[in-house]
Amino acid sequence: MELFRITHDAWGQETLAGASWDLLPWFVGAAAAFIVLHASWLLVRRLGKGGSR
Amino acid sequence: MNRGTPVSPDDFGRVIRHRWPDRLYHWVMAITVLTLLGTAFLPIIGVKFAWVEAHWIAGVVSIGLVLMHIVRVSIWLDIWSMMIGPRDVCDTWSAARWALGLRTDPPPLPGKYPLLQKFYHAAIVLTVVALLVTGAMMMVRIDTPFWVRNPYWLSAETWGIVYVVHDLAAMMVLALVIVHIYFGLRPEKLWITRSMILGWITRADYAAHHDPARWKLDTGERG
Repeated sequence: MELFRITHDAWGQETLAGASWDLLPWFVGAAAAFIVLHASWLLVRRLGKGGSR
Repeated sequence: MNRGTPVSPDDFGRVIRHRWPDRLYHWVMAITVLTLLGTAFLPIIGVKFAWVEAHWIAGVVSIGLVLMHIVRVSIWLDIWSMMIGPRDVCDTWSAARWALGLRTDPPPLPGKYPLLQKFYHAAIVLTVVALLVTGAMMMVRIDTPFWVRNPYWLSAETWGIVYVVHDLAAMMVLALVIVHIYFGLRPEKLWITRSMILGWITRADYAAHHDPARWKLDTGERG
């Protein structure tokens, strides 16, 4: 996976063009993972409370 | 420091949490951020359209909104109510221990803004500021009704760094917005979402979720 986008200038030299868009699914995935973990934690906590009654 | 702004209950006993200028700011900002994200990422995932003009206009609107927000919270609102202070660090420790089952007493109630809301706000502020500053710099490279483009303002290496920061901040904002919408739709957080639409919370919400000593209710005035 690339971390940066690289382009070439008029003289053929490599220049930085930005962050790689390969990272986009990782950011979206991190948000999705956070949501799943948070929802799971709430569910487990709720079930735990229900079971202790 | 958490002084908390005195708030007034209205005729129905509702507590004003967000006044109309702040709700208007939030929703216009939401529209501009979604426009920025859409015009940035839709072309990347294959939806091709002329995105540059809509993107920079939404960026300029966002910069204006953020500046207005800074003025409003500095003059009319209590800017400290959203700041993370030493007490919040202690409360975070208590909340973490409680969440992990290492402590039976629930963590102390917050002032106007819950801990997670403060941390989210800090994260989105840092990210959006990085995004808007680099975005404003990049506007020098495009023609607008206000100026002619100048791609040679910075060196190629410096532009590269500006692009990287802008791209990373944009992807971070996307992730933060996804999490923000998730919390806004969670059933136990709907009272906060409602307050961002209608402006108020109930007395019961106030009693259940806020420490009156940290967010004072001023019963002597009308809201």
